[in-house]
Amino acid sequence: MWSSNRSMSSSLGVERTKKKMNKDKIFKLAKGFRGRAKNCIRIARERVEKALQYSYRDRRNKKRDMRSLWIRRINAGTRLHGVNYGNFMHGLLKENIQLNRKVLSELSMHEPYTFKSLVDISRNAFPGNKNVVVPPRKVAF
Amino acid sequence: MATATVSTLCATFGTHCAISHNPKPLFSQPFNLNRFHSNSYKLTFSPRSPLSPLSPLPKAADSALVQTQPGSLDPQPAQLVPVQPPSWEPGLFAVIMIGSRQYIVHPGRWIVVQRLKGANVNDKIALHKVLLVGTDTSCYIGKPIVTNAVVYATVEEQGLDPKVIVFKYKKKKHYRRNIGHRQPHTRLRINSIMGYENYPKVTMDDIKSDDSES
Repeated sequence: MWSSNRSMSSSLGVERTKKKMNKDKIFKLAKGFRGRAKNCIRIARERVEKALQYSYRDRRNKKRDMRSLWIRRINAGTRLHGVNYGNFMHGLLKENIQLNRKVLSELSMHEPYTFKSLVDISRNAFPGNKNVVVPPRKVAF
Repeated sequence: MATATVSTLCATFGTHCAISHNPKPLFSQPFNLNRFHSNSYKLTFSPRSPLSPLSPLPKAADSALVQTQPGSLDPQPAQLVPVQPPSWEPGLFAVIMIGSRQYIVHPGRWIVVQRLKGANVNDKIALHKVLLVGTDTSCYIGKPIVTNAVVYATVEEQGLDPKVIVFKYKKKKHYRRNIGHRQPHTRLRINSIMGYENYPKVTMDDIKSDDSES
């Protein structure tokens, strides 16, 4: 199906051997697909090709998505302390703290006191619009 | 403070990037940590499970274990040795940078990093780029690194990641490439985190006093 070694063997002058991705491999990759795409080879072949293309593209997208997730989490964590994400990162930059967003989001979730001290450091370094972001009022039930 | 936090300092640690959840076999009673899977490139985020109360201090755990050991005969397997309390502070973790990527690291667990070329199995490694060290009661925030802090690790294994199929395809242009790829990695077991004591730190008391002031 995919004769992938066309260029290599033609330059060496060797007889081309056709490599096929046989049906078993296709069906193995097609597990969990919907309808006939997991059973019938003609349909499965198309769907598996599409799935592999998507995985190539999404391996690049995953990096973008993760970063935006971390930023959203850091934003949520800092707004609890009255600082927004932009001012927070600017303050960290000024203090030369080089923790990346992945670690900062983990800290904001699981190490609240460490994160609070980071927010305080950032706030002292760069006050920004201090009173714009108000921490949510705790309502007693 | 977030409503999800409890009065004591958080005893749960986020881990990432295929950090193992099995502590060293030396400790028969594992730390009472809620293990979180974080999805940076490998695993999935799971919602924060309710915090269980802090594990008893290692000394208490040790004594509790010693009491049960002579009492119970068979339930505990034969290879249990009398456990020594861990020689580091409770809730110790560090953020280190390896291969321009940052990892949250706990002593006694393993992490998977990009392949370190010069290292062989069972090599001891000292990591000096420590960006943050934290314990249950205090944290040392490095600007950018915590001076004189070292993380000691042992190379456990130099393996390959699971295979990834790189499939390139252009429609109507008769172009297809099918390539398999296994990225080499190195698995490190973190032995200890040392050398951070003399660095200026932020303790729980500072934060509490800030809270009471504001």
